[in-house]
Amino acid sequence: MKIGIISFAHIHAESYGRALKRIEDVEFVGVMDEDEERGRKYSLFFGTRHFSNINDFLMQDLDAVIVTSENVQHKEHVIAAALAGKHVLCEKPIAVNKIDAQEMIDICREKNVLLQTAFPVRFNTSIIRTRELIKNGHLGEIIAVKGTNRGQCPGSWFVDINKSGGGAVLDHTVHVTDILRWFLGSEVRTVYAEIGSMFTNQLIDDSGILSFEFENGVFASLDCSWSRNATYPIWGDITLEIIGTKGRLSVDAFNQKLNVFTNKMGYNHSYWGDDMDEELIKDFINSIRTGKDQASITGEDGLRALEIALAAYESSENKAVVSLV
Amino acid sequence: MKKLLEEGKVMFHVLIIGAGTMGKIHIQAFRQMKDVKVVGVVDPNQLDSNKELDYQVFSTFQQALETGDRIDVVDICVPTPLHLEYVKKAADAKLNIICEKPLARSLEEGQEIINYCNRKSVKLYVAHVLRFFPEFVKVKEIIEKETIGKVGVVRTTRAGSFPIGWNDWYSDYQSSGGLILDMVIHDIDFLRWCFGDIERVYAKGTLGKGFDNLEYALITLRFINGVIAHLEGSWAHDSFSMSFEFSGTVGIIDYNSANDKPLELHSHSNKEGSGGVAVPESPLNTTPYYRELRHFLDCMKYGAEPIVTAEDALEAVKIALSAIESIRTSKPIFFN
Repeated sequence: MKIGIISFAHIHAESYGRALKRIEDVEFVGVMDEDEERGRKYSLFFGTRHFSNINDFLMQDLDAVIVTSENVQHKEHVIAAALAGKHVLCEKPIAVNKIDAQEMIDICREKNVLLQTAFPVRFNTSIIRTRELIKNGHLGEIIAVKGTNRGQCPGSWFVDINKSGGGAVLDHTVHVTDILRWFLGSEVRTVYAEIGSMFTNQLIDDSGILSFEFENGVFASLDCSWSRNATYPIWGDITLEIIGTKGRLSVDAFNQKLNVFTNKMGYNHSYWGDDMDEELIKDFINSIRTGKDQASITGEDGLRALEIALAAYESSENKAVVSLV
Repeated sequence: MKKLLEEGKVMFHVLIIGAGTMGKIHIQAFRQMKDVKVVGVVDPNQLDSNKELDYQVFSTFQQALETGDRIDVVDICVPTPLHLEYVKKAADAKLNIICEKPLARSLEEGQEIINYCNRKSVKLYVAHVLRFFPEFVKVKEIIEKETIGKVGVVRTTRAGSFPIGWNDWYSDYQSSGGLILDMVIHDIDFLRWCFGDIERVYAKGTLGKGFDNLEYALITLRFINGVIAHLEGSWAHDSFSMSFEFSGTVGIIDYNSANDKPLELHSHSNKEGSGGVAVPESPLNTTPYYRELRHFLDCMKYGAEPIVTAEDALEAVKIALSAIESIRTSKPIFFN
């Protein structure tokens, strides 16, 4: 299996690259990056070729690509790959607007290539276990979920709305909403959001408390803020407090860590849990290998999550509840 | 056990209304104060007590007045819907009042309580005790020093098991106002103390969804100063805990009573293999209840303005009721 990565703009590309190197019978055949310096750096690091032109890159013998460019470029890169007949794993958010996302989905379907949205949290071992506990009825009927997906401000193009399409709300809403859709098997019906710009000194949203109601009556909240300060012991979190009729489950997905205290770095977490990014890539490759007609996390899943984030912006703008269905 | 009192030094003769959980906690706190004498408790349900008490028990407020004994302060610790009735009785008798939170079940009642006390020229102190919890006092102090910069997002949790009170009044929404009015109001008032008035509130909750002995709510407050606060209230937990997190531009402060505790007593399991319940404790020389009641008495003594005014208490009721209204209507509720 031959796989390449389109752009190292997104910080996750490095982790996906590492996963490619570790997975058996996978060849990491090249890096396409229009940023010459970055492209050379990572192709050297991973011992692979660098292309600065996407057409040259897609001409080579290649089964699939991972798109980790700036959010606004997802559309162009995914469509180019699909037209060249390559399967695509696209970083989240799938796109910056619904029309683009739908077009990407349609073209991938037309060209018979898989389009998977990169929601690695579905492969976090504790999140998988959470879903099992829910399915097995340990919580009874689910009533409510309080979620967080906070982080340090990622800086660079993430805070440039022309490249990212949105700040913390777009960046951090999609993971947890995807997980909740996956857990509940229900779609979000209403969204309300309080959004702020407090932490970054940039003209971009960096904090938000979102409230959702699902079609099945479950209500949820999500803190998607870039509110972790620079010296916080970990980059961010995914936590869920799940209230059911029979029980309650507290989930802190990255709380498999050591507490490390050093004079130089202060207090930091050292994570020892499983690598969800590697499991995501394995899953994508497995879907290609076994000839599945759709990815385990589809482009539509990406679109649904995007719709919720966009509804949050609309809600904040209008100071009103937004209905999705 | 009789407390030895040098009569001349007693400044405050306190009559407690209601000997439920909070009444008992207040009695404990007053007992530690040298200048306070609890003269009695009004509680129709407490008459058959065979414990040796150092105070009298009255079945009605009138009975307590008829003794002719000196009363300086009436401390109202009865369920919320009874506040107005006892406030009026105390105010009619020209007695200063300490009243448990929430001030009232409705805005109209709350306003009537305040007006009545003003008209009768008696002091009214509302027991929003969170303002006297040292962890809360401390976090406010740090925020005000801007140690974490400008605050952007705040999260609070107040969780416990479903409360069992007199006549199961907590599960009667009409009486108690449920989780938000009775419990989350603590955090609402505290956050108002920190950040001032709010612009709007939005909330989701179990209210009206028919879950027995379980209530859960997630509330978002937007303050005029821009701060976004998320408040979790739960009567769906198995033990009490409270937590907060303040995220600022250059730092974060968090506290969780479930994790940050100096003592936890674990009894060995009994032969049947059960038991082993953990009992946490956070001992202080004086409890937050003591600090609160002491502050109110000192305000009376020196004619000072309390840290929490009756108007603050009414505003907290207003926000709590608006959160409930938001759950009902699925809409944000705007403040002027």
